[in-house]
Formats: sequence, C-alpha cells, structure tokens
Amino acid sequence: MLNEKLVAEINRLRSKYKDARSCLLPSLYVVQREEGWITPDAMTAVGELLNVPKATVKGVATFYSMYRHKPMGRHLIQLCTNVACMLMGAESLVDLLKEKYGLTPNGTSPDGRFSLVIMECIGACGTAPAMLVDTDFHDSLNDKNILEILESYQ
Amino acid sequence: MEKYLLRNIDNPDSAHLVEYVKAGGYKALAKALEMKPADIIGEVKNSGLRGRGGAGFPTGMKWSFAAADPKRPKYLLCNADEGEPGTFKDRPLLEKNPHLLIEGMVISGYALGAEYGYIYLRGEYPAAKDILEGALRQAHEKGYLGDNVLGKGVAFHLSVHQGAGAYICGEETALIDSLEGKRGQPRIKPPFPVNEGYLSKPTVVNNVETFANIPYIIEIGADAYSKIGSAECPGPKLYSVSGHVKKPGVYELPMGVTLREIIYVHCGGIAGDRKLKAVIPGGISTPVLPADKIDCPMDFASMPKHGSMLGSGAVMVFDETVDLVKVCLRATKFFEHESCGKCTPCREGVGWMRSILERIVKGAGTGGDIELLLEVAKNIAGKTFCPLGDGAASVVQHFIKHFRNEFEEHIEKSKVGASA
Amino acid sequence: MITVTINGKKLLLEKPVTILDAAKRAGIHIPTLCHHEILEAFGGCRLCLVEIEKVPRLQTSCTMNVTDGMVVWTETEKVVEARKAMLEFLLINHALDCPYCDKAGECDLQDLSMKYGPAAGRFAEGKRKHPESYDDPIIVRNMERCISCTRCVRMCERVQGDSAISMVNRTSKTFVEPFSGGRYNCEYCGNCLTVCPVGAIMSRLHKHTYRPWYIEKEVNTVCSYCGVGCSLTAQVRGDSIVRVVPEMEKGLNKGLLCNRGRFGYDYVTSPQRLKTPLIRKEGELQQATWSEAFAFIAQKLKEIKEKEGGSAIAGIASARCTNEDNYVFQKFLRVVLGSNNIDSVAGFAFAPAQRFFENIFGQGVTANPLHGISRSDGIFITGADPTTVNPILGLQVRGASRKRVPVVTLGHMPGLVRFATQRLVPQPLTDTAVLAALVTELIKRRPLSGEKPAFEEIIGKIPPVSLKDAEERSGIPAGEIGGCAEILSGMTNPALIIGRDSVQSSRGQENLLLLAALTYLLNGRIYLLSELPNEQGLVDMGCLPDMLPGGRPLAVESFRKRYGEFFSTEIPAAPGLSLMESIEGAKAGKIKALYIMGENVAYNVPDTAFVKEALSSLEFIVVQDIFLNETARLAHVVLPTLAWSEKEGSYTNLERRLQHVRKAVEGARSSGSMEDWRIIAEISRMLGTEMKYSDAGDILAEIAKVSPLHKGITYGDMDAGEFLWPYKGEPLRHDVSIAGIEIPEAGSLLKKPEKEALYVGIERPLFHSATQSRSSSALNSILPEPYVRLSRALAQRMSIADGDSVAVSTSAGTVELPALLDPDMPEGMVLVANNFADRGVFRVMSWRMHAATKSPVLDGMEATLRKIDRKTAEVSG
Ligand SMILES: Cc1cc2nc3c(=O)[nH]c(=O)nc-3n(C[C@H](O)[C@H](O)[C@H](O)COP(=O)(O)O)c2cc1C
Ligand code: SF4
Ligand code: FES
Repeated sequence: MLNEKLVAEINRLRSKYKDARSCLLPSLYVVQREEGWITPDAMTAVGELLNVPKATVKGVATFYSMYRHKPMGRHLIQLCTNVACMLMGAESLVDLLKEKYGLTPNGTSPDGRFSLVIMECIGACGTAPAMLVDTDFHDSLNDKNILEILESYQ
Repeated sequence: MEKYLLRNIDNPDSAHLVEYVKAGGYKALAKALEMKPADIIGEVKNSGLRGRGGAGFPTGMKWSFAAADPKRPKYLLCNADEGEPGTFKDRPLLEKNPHLLIEGMVISGYALGAEYGYIYLRGEYPAAKDILEGALRQAHEKGYLGDNVLGKGVAFHLSVHQGAGAYICGEETALIDSLEGKRGQPRIKPPFPVNEGYLSKPTVVNNVETFANIPYIIEIGADAYSKIGSAECPGPKLYSVSGHVKKPGVYELPMGVTLREIIYVHCGGIAGDRKLKAVIPGGISTPVLPADKIDCPMDFASMPKHGSMLGSGAVMVFDETVDLVKVCLRATKFFEHESCGKCTPCREGVGWMRSILERIVKGAGTGGDIELLLEVAKNIAGKTFCPLGDGAASVVQHFIKHFRNEFEEHIEKSKVGASA
Repeated sequence: MITVTINGKKLLLEKPVTILDAAKRAGIHIPTLCHHEILEAFGGCRLCLVEIEKVPRLQTSCTMNVTDGMVVWTETEKVVEARKAMLEFLLINHALDCPYCDKAGECDLQDLSMKYGPAAGRFAEGKRKHPESYDDPIIVRNMERCISCTRCVRMCERVQGDSAISMVNRTSKTFVEPFSGGRYNCEYCGNCLTVCPVGAIMSRLHKHTYRPWYIEKEVNTVCSYCGVGCSLTAQVRGDSIVRVVPEMEKGLNKGLLCNRGRFGYDYVTSPQRLKTPLIRKEGELQQATWSEAFAFIAQKLKEIKEKEGGSAIAGIASARCTNEDNYVFQKFLRVVLGSNNIDSVAGFAFAPAQRFFENIFGQGVTANPLHGISRSDGIFITGADPTTVNPILGLQVRGASRKRVPVVTLGHMPGLVRFATQRLVPQPLTDTAVLAALVTELIKRRPLSGEKPAFEEIIGKIPPVSLKDAEERSGIPAGEIGGCAEILSGMTNPALIIGRDSVQSSRGQENLLLLAALTYLLNGRIYLLSELPNEQGLVDMGCLPDMLPGGRPLAVESFRKRYGEFFSTEIPAAPGLSLMESIEGAKAGKIKALYIMGENVAYNVPDTAFVKEALSSLEFIVVQDIFLNETARLAHVVLPTLAWSEKEGSYTNLERRLQHVRKAVEGARSSGSMEDWRIIAEISRMLGTEMKYSDAGDILAEIAKVSPLHKGITYGDMDAGEFLWPYKGEPLRHDVSIAGIEIPEAGSLLKKPEKEALYVGIERPLFHSATQSRSSSALNSILPEPYVRLSRALAQRMSIADGDSVAVSTSAGTVELPALLDPDMPEGMVLVANNFADRGVFRVMSWRMHAATKSPVLDGMEATLRKIDRKTAEVSG
C-alpha cells in the first residue's frame, strides 16, 4: 500500500496531465524509488489511484526495461555494453564485476550491495564505456577507475 | 562556422537562465510573440528546416498539418528519447543549454496554438531531468512559461515526462502511447499524430535539436538560415562521433559536411593513427560504410545517394582491429532487446538473426549461415510494422554486403576448429 | 464512390473500408491471424500483407483503407512468399505440439501452415519454454503456443472491459498474463477463448475430452441464465453437450457470452438431478411411479378444490420455464382449478415496474432493443449493476462509455466503477432523495413536452427536493448531484436502465414514479434488468394474479370473457393472490394447496424461516423441478422435469424478443422426466380437462390464438431472426392510467434512517444467478463460496481483512461468511448474495411486503457485523 506521502506526491504529478493514466510511468518511478522495485501491491495501489486496471499496469510496467520486478541490491549498476562501449572495453568490465563482486547481469552481489543490469546505449558513446550507478552518471571507465568509483557506494 | 546550438557550452553555468539571457537568449521568443503564428510557420517552412530526429521530415510542413486541424487542445511533444545507439547529441542541449530547447518550444507552441507541451526524456538521463526541471522553474518564474508568456496573453505549459527504457518510444506514435501510460508500441497510421496524437488531439512531435533550431530561424530569418550548409537541407547540425577517433564528442557543423572531414579534420583522425575500416554514419540503424566510401556529404538528401542515411548524425568509427561480425551481433542484440513485440517479423526474426550471428561468432557457424541470415533479413525487411525491424534487417544486410569476407572467415575458422 | 480492383475484380464501394473487407466483399479471402471482426485493427501478425500497384512496400490489408483507383493483388509471388515467411517466423517459438493440443482441427495457425508451408522451419535453436499454467479453474494458459496476436487482450480490454489480462514484457519474451501470473480472477466471460486463433488459451472444462471433429451436432439455442437471452450453440456429441460457443453473426450477443452462458450449462448434467417422482409417505419423500404420483395429485387437488374452492389453491410459475410451460400452468390454475392465485418471482419487481411504466406510457414501453444502449447519447442506471445481473447488457454500457457516451450510475455498481462518468453512491435508504433531487433539477432545466398532460400534472405535483436536502440525506455533495443533472439534461434519447433494488424497496412506489418522471423528462428508453431468462414471458403468458395472456388485465370484463369463452368456462373476476400473499395465505390457513413449478420459494423469498413455516402449514404442496431443492424437500409430491437443454419452447427476453429454445440432448428424458407442461396436461386430464398437446408447437399454436399479442406466431418466426415487439400481434392500447398513481409526500422522498446503522442488502455475484448456478460445477469452481461484501473503510475500522470470517446478524437470523473488501462501497452497507447452498441473504431478511407493489421490501434491514476469531471459536468450541 502507498502511504499518504506517496499518494500526495503522485497526485501532484497527476496534475501535470489532462488524464490520469498519463501519470502511470511517473507513478511507477515513485514507487520504485521508494521500494527499490515495482511490487505487485504497488501496481495494485497505483492502478487504483489512477483508475487503471492492475493487469494493465503490469503490462506497462514489464514493457519498460528500467522498471525492476524483483528486489535489487543497495546500489544499482546500469552498465552500457552497446557498440561504442563494447569497442572501448565494456565487456571486460562485465568480467571484472563478476570477479570482484560476484555480479552477473540481472543479478545481485551475494552481500546485497550491488545489482547489475546491462544497458543498451545510455548516450555516452563519446566517453565510453559508461554506467549509471543509481542516478549518477560515470563515463570513461576502465578497469581501475570503475572499482574506485564503486568503492564510494557502500 | 560560428556555433549556435552549442554556443554557450563552455560556460559551466550555461544551463542557468541568467547566463542564457546574457548570451542573447529569449530574444527570439520576444520577437516571435510579435509575429503572427501563421507567419512563424511560414518562416520555418521557408527555412528548409528538416527534423533532426532521424527521418528528416520537413518541420514546417508537419506544423502546418497540425495547425490546420481545428481540434483542441493541441499538444507539443519534444522527443528527447535519444535512444539510437551512437547518438548523444541531444544530451548537451538538454544538460547544458535547456533554455534553448524551452525557448524553441514556447515559440513552436505559440505558432501551433498548443498550450501544453511535454518533453519526453529518456529514463537513462536522470541528470538531464533535474537540470530541465530547474530550467523550467526558472523560465516559469520569469514569465517565459505559464498562463501569460511575457505578458502577451499567450499560454504555454511545459513539463518533463520521463521514459523508462524503451528505444521504440523514440518512434513518435510509440512515444505518444507511452506518454499516455501505455506500452509504448507504434500506432497504425493514419491517423497521424498531427491529427490524432496525444489523447487523440492534434500533436506535433519534434526532436530536441529541431526545437533548438527554431529560435535561430526566428533570430536570423529564414533566408539567412537557409544559406547555412546544404541547399537541400540547410542549417547547423550536431554530429555525435564515437569509436576509434582521436577526439570523440559532439560537433556542431553545417549540414552537408563530409564524413571524411568530420573524422579526419574535426575529430583528429583515427586513434593511434590506425587504419579506418568502417563507419556507421547516422546511428546504428543506418547502413555501415566501408572506409573508401566516406566522401559523402552528411545531410538527409545526400546520404541515400551514397548508400546510407544521415539518421541522427551519430558517427561510429571502427578501426582496422575491429571484428565487424561481433559489432553486427551486438547491434542485432540491441534490436532484439528493443523490439516492442508487436509484429511477427521483428519479434521473431531479429532474435533468429541474433542466434545465427551468435553461433558464427562462437565458432559454430556453418556453410549456409550467411545465406540464411540474408534470407531472414529479407523476410523482415519491408514487412514490419515500423522502421525498427527494417533497421535490424538493414544492419545485417549491409554488414554482409560490405564485409562478407569477415563472416566467411569466422565460418571458415569454425570449420577448421571442428575438423581439428 | 470508390473503385478498387482486387485480383482483377472491379469493386464499387460507397465508403472506404479496409482492403481486407473489400476483398471479402469480392469473395477473396486474405489470410489473417491478429485481425478479428469484432476487434479493432492491430496490424501485428503481418499475414495479411498484399501488393498494391505503385506502392513499393507490401501493405497490411487489415489496417489500410482502399482508395479510389487502387489496384490490389493478394496472391502474387511476393505476397505468398511473405506469408510463408511470417508463418515460419511464427513457428519459431510455437510449441508445435499439435497432436496433443485441443485446438488441432480448428487452429488458424495449423490450417495456414497446411496451406502455405513451410514443411520444416530452418530455425535451429531452442524454442521459448513456458510451462502450461493450470493455476486457474477454468482457463489453461499455454504460452508456448501464443503467437502474440493480442486478440485475447484486446477482447478483454476493449470489448469485455475487464482488463484482467495484459501482454507482459516485450520482444519475443512477450506473452499474455493475468495480474496474478496464475489465476485469472476475472469475469470469466471466456470471450478470450473465442478469439484465440491457436491453442494458447483453452478451456479447462473440456481439456482433452473432445476433438472438434468429434462434434456430431450443433444446436442453436438461447441461454438459460438471464433475461438477456444470448444466442448460443450447443455442440453435442452422443447425448452430452461438449461445449457451448457463441457465433459472430447470431443473436443479440453477436459472438459474446458471459461466464454463466458459456460455462454454466453443466448444471443440467449434475448428478443431483431428480430422477423419479417422489411422494411423502410416513413423513419421508419416497420414490414413486409417475402414475402413482399423478393419481395422488389429482385426487388431492380435487378434494381441496371441492372442499375449499379454487381460491384455496395457489400456483407459482417459473421464470426459468418456457412460455409454453408457463402458459399451460396458468391455464391449469385458471381453467382447471378455477384460481387466479398465480404469480412468480417476476411479480417481485419486474412485473410491477413494467405495469407501472405501461400504465403511463403504454404497453411495450420497455421493449427496447439492446443495441440501442450503446447507440444512445447517454445512460442512467439505478437499482442494480447491469454488468452482473445482465452481463451482455452490461457490455453495451461499457461499450457506450468507451465511445465517451456519458454514463451516470446511482447506487454502487462494482462492474461500472471504471466506466461511469459520474457515480452517485448514496448512503443506505436515501437513493429516493437523490432521484427526487435529479427530477427537481431536470424540471428546471428541461421544459415539459406537453405530450402527456395528465402525467405532466402529476410530475408537477411531485414535491421538489433541493440539492442541499439530497446532500444532507445521501452524503453526496450537492455539486455532484447537480453535475449529474447537468449531464442528464444534455441527453436527447438516453437509455434508462433499472434494476430490482429500486422496486424492492420501502419506497418502491416513489422510486417508480420518479423514474417515470425522469424517463418522461429525458425522452428516455427504459430497460428493465431481469435476472432470469423468462420473466417477461411470465408476464406475457398471464402468470400474474391479475393479468391474462397477452398482457390483458383480468379486470377488464371483455378480456376475461374472451379468455373464458375460449375454454368454455368462467374465469373468476377477482384478482388472485400474489406470491407473497399466497405464502401469507398459507400461514393464515387461507391457502391449502400450493402447486409450484420450477421455483424455490423456501430459498428465493426473503425470510427463509418464515416461508418454511408457512409452507409447512399447507395441506398439500406439489413441486416440479429438476433438483430436490429446499422447497421440494417440504413438498408432498415432487416431480422430476426436463431442463432447458432437453426440451423445446420459447423465452421472451427483457427486450421482449421472442426466441426459440431448442432441445440439444435427450438427457433426463431417457430416465422418464417430462416437460413441465406435459405433467400438467396429464394432471388436467385426470381432473377432467383435456389438454391435447403432443409437443410444444401445439401449445404455441394455442397461445397464438388465445393471446392477442402473440397472434399467429410460430417457431419459424423466431428462427427467421429478430422477432421483436409487437411481433405480429396487437399490443394493448390504452390511455395514460393515472388513477392508481399516488403523489408522494416530501417526507417519504426525504426519508432517511432514524439512526446511523449498518444495513444488509443483496449482492448479485457475476458467477451465479438465482440458485440453478449452484449446481454448475464450472461456476462453483470459479466461486465456490458466498461472501459478504463490505467497504474497505469499515473493514479497516473493524480490523477485518479480505477473507476473514464475519458474522452478519439481523433480527431474522445470522449468517457467517468470508469478507470481500470493496474500496468503492458506501460504509453503511454490507451485501450478501443468495446463490449458494446455504448462508443466503434471505435468511437474514425479515418478511416485509410492500402494500402497493406486493414486492418484498429489502431495504432498511439493520444488521450487525462481528469478526469471527477462528482461534477463540476453536477454543470455545
Ligand atoms: C525506432 C525509431 C526510433 C526513433 N528514435 C528517435 C529518438 O530517439 N529521438 C528522436 O528525436 N526521434 C526518433 N525517431 C524519429 C521519430 O519517430 C520522429 O520522426 C521524430 O521524433 C520527429 O521529430 P523531427 O521531425 O524533429 O525529427 C525514431 C524513429 C524510429 C522509427
Ligand atoms: S518492427 Fe514491429 S515489433 Fe519491431 S518495434 Fe516496430 S512494431 Fe515493434
Ligand atoms: S491480420 Fe493484418 S496484420 Fe494481422
């Protein structure tokens, strides 16, 4: 269930639109920020709030790759491996994350600290490879600096 | 050429309204509000501006369709989904020069009689969201947005809408469905968005860079604007260059600059002075070109004549060391991941191509695989619901067309491996 | 005019249609998979690609409209190649387990692959894996067979309006899923089954029990569940119905069904069916032969008639029986037994409401075709949720709402929450105040037409009720009520849909008057919801204490005489007793014998305890039924009859459409059960009145002579298609009869509960209707248990969670039920259904009859709620 604060936040977002359903994607972001993933209860509650059937909410939520459908680690690494990043060594970074943190794509490190999601192009091709950690952007990654960066996320 | 789109880019505070105004910002808006909406549309038409989102549709023509539809309200949508791999040209505009976009959109909204606008921003740009929202707040406070823009009795409301990771939502009808809170799948056309778009009302969708050109056109006039760059599609253009060049990045250059000039003059040539092998000139969906085909003017009209397309102007450079079969596989994986699942050939066929490419790269390819790939690609091409599937097919077709030998080598190697 | 040429054939069209439709008109078939005639175009499967001259790309014929001069080719090499390619793509992730799949033989993909090949796909890697889901009681979901045509989802979202399933994920990982991922928890209309072109969504009920080619016979008949009367086809093998399906072109339902119609037919094969007559001997019902039973009944009835007169005998007819059964039944009572004491549950609400409106507007005022609802420019609904009482009618409302037709609902209607433009949900007992305020507001906004001055005079006398007063009573903000009046006043020919609760109320009379006023002010068309398949038939066949066949009032001497002369007898002039009066009469000793045909009064009438007591004091009760129900258990003689699928006849639906009910199987006939009419004819004969009918057709022929309304009708008329009011007959013509209309006082309009209390009302679950559904194992598998619906807010205050056990008590009794929480209910109400073996709402309703309408009064029943703590119950028990 959504608490009052979240309901108020969603209602505020809702006022930007002419119809309630347009607020669905933003509302899903709100609940994901709060819970780390889109729980079935949250889909039900958001659906009720916006007058969208919950199965429809699920159809929408599962269409987009940035919504999570299971609990995530404390920090989410979204690492791009698309062509530009691949050219600049993104694949070896994936191997490194596995070695260092036991992270595999779509998995969570055993200590629950990181989850890893492989991204399609995140618009940093000129400074590839790049990743998002939570909502922070990091680019020009290499074997060394990626570990330094990740160390600042506990 | 003097920079316009990126003129303020080196100023660390470029995103701030004060800095923008200092550099001459929002003057075009003031000027536009003195004009008649129809005259603005006329100006844009005469400027020859073509949409910067990839398809290169004449912007003025699109606007006049929407303006002619009597239904109200009208909506103005900015396509900031920038999902085409290799493309990162809209990002500096969004993060460093948001007021240029806002100014362009307010002018456009006034011209079209649209009172509501949304910037559909890809979910992968969280920083841009904060910057844009900050800029919108400032613009609102200063009366560039709101119920009474600059006291001229014109209303325009603008907000940011965040996408959530779906390349297909860059396609304008999928974008509209996504904005409506639906699965972002392309719609049947007609009706076109200019007649039945967001919430079934007339809607204009333009790319970030397209809107960013509007104040310039108003400022210098259609005549002057149409003299920049190529005659057939004039104006400044942002090229995002990535891969094996010495100085990758976003470059503002006139339309029609050659690919060679971009790579060798502006980007300083190939990194490590290695040899160039191939270039994808306009984002991953556009046909790859071999090294000897880079003397082509980079604009919408010329590129098809040179065997490719301008697309989003995202230049991806591959040096001699690159295994292009692997690139082809990675690109195909991208299309598979991004297929919206609506139509049969794209949903099923692209995954099939990926699995063939995968076995070739893994060293398990067989003799008929290249023909099979071409056959599958042919069965996809021209039969999908939207251009995404065509793009996927064209990637495979063009990599094989220009670099068949590399595919053959892989298969040859696997035969050797198998017999050893 | 548009000229198109398809495969060389020239075609002239008035307006643009899709290439696909144009080809169809030219007799050219273009293969499709994602297209379905009752769904909007989708354009996803790409099978329907065609070549158009001067257009470089192939185009999908299902999405593209023809233009003048277009030249289309549908079978060129390029097209056929593309088609093959699409099929090859589709088979990549398709299970290809055809030998094991129930769809084999009627699978579009199988047929197309047969036709176009390819014989073997070139896809070498593994297919998508997705184990078949058996989590649902009704639907087996096999996503290895799904081809992502989205037909089921579009059906569910856009037509049914349930939106219980959705496509999830994207890419080739896309598949169909209900929210839970397992159980559907949906409306179980099964319309998704109709549209699935492959075996991805199949009915579990007949999984692996048949092959399409096993079906030996298809019988087109009419559903036996509700007053809509959907057309359906019973597919029969041997002597059993294998499956029930709708047909796209047939009937008012045009390819759609609800859960009851599609899955509920299995009650007819329930092992609980009665097999032999039973006679009470030494206090026990014991098996008897038919001749014993006939002789016993004839003797007892004769005795009672001679001793006490015909008026000591009452009959209860059935809304589930055919017109033919009911016609013979009333004739038996009137002509053979000399009694006008004949009524049915149609007398509770349907008949009094219809009579009220007909008195003002004339006979036939409620005979409005269903499709008029979705074509109207506004809809007002009160008295029940049409989506559960008459689901297919409910779909008309949802369809209208989707077309942005304004829908105003008064009362809580769970099935329309997402579809109503304005929902007025008043506190208990205050809907009259809201109705009155709406009428008051509309009088201000809409001038009277002057068409019916007598009625206008009455409207003028209705005491005005201010928005303020209505707000104070109902708890609905005045602005909202006023807003509704505003919406209503913009309608020019709206549909007014009225359910039973408006009538079965202490203010039933007031409500009817206000609804009539609303109808008049809005130029509306009335639709009376009807829970049972033949309530209208009961009215039209004269199964009412004061009405003869053809809707002719008994009170009019000429009608009475004509009817009597037909049978050379005299019909008593005094109106008989209504159903409730007969039961009261039984209690009081005035009624000695009760003859019940297919009705379960000991369960279906409020205050079960009272009814049972009344029945127990009777000298003689005969019950004809297909089950040994609560009433039959109290009878002296019980006679097994044939069920709907086992006999011929006709029903009249709520639009007053006459429809042919046809025998699909022999069923219980082979064990000796008979049609209701045949039993009665036999008893009549023994009582000295010959009823010479060899089949239902003979009865219809007699109806066609006796009832002026049904003049000359035949089954052929019904089979020929839409057989609508007034058939070929003579409707009753009369002037507005306002003599009986009472002008309410302001006080009665503004009545509200004296103290704040909780009230119990009737829940009408979608998955059950009346009590026959409780013998359907299919419907029971969807909803096996009754429940109490209560507002989420009330539940939260009482710490009741979904599914918790709750005791609902009133002065009449207590029922224990699991709780179902509803976020949209008003707090002062709880709702209990009456469709289950025990724990029905009528056990907690007291015996109250409305003096004027003779309806049971069901509002204002105070209740208390207690959460049952299982643990303590166990400890103390
Ligand atoms: C698969 C696909 C992806 C697209 N992605 C984008 C995009 O990310 N950004 C964009 O501006 N246009 C994109 N487009 C083009 C849009 O459909 C549309 O043409 C554009 O937003 C119109 O704006 P413009 O006229 O200013 O270019 C895409 C088109 C397709 C078919
Ligand atoms: S080509 Fe088809 S499946 Fe692919 S993205 Fe477009 S509509 Fe969706
Ligand atoms: S039937 Fe036309 S695309 Fe499926």
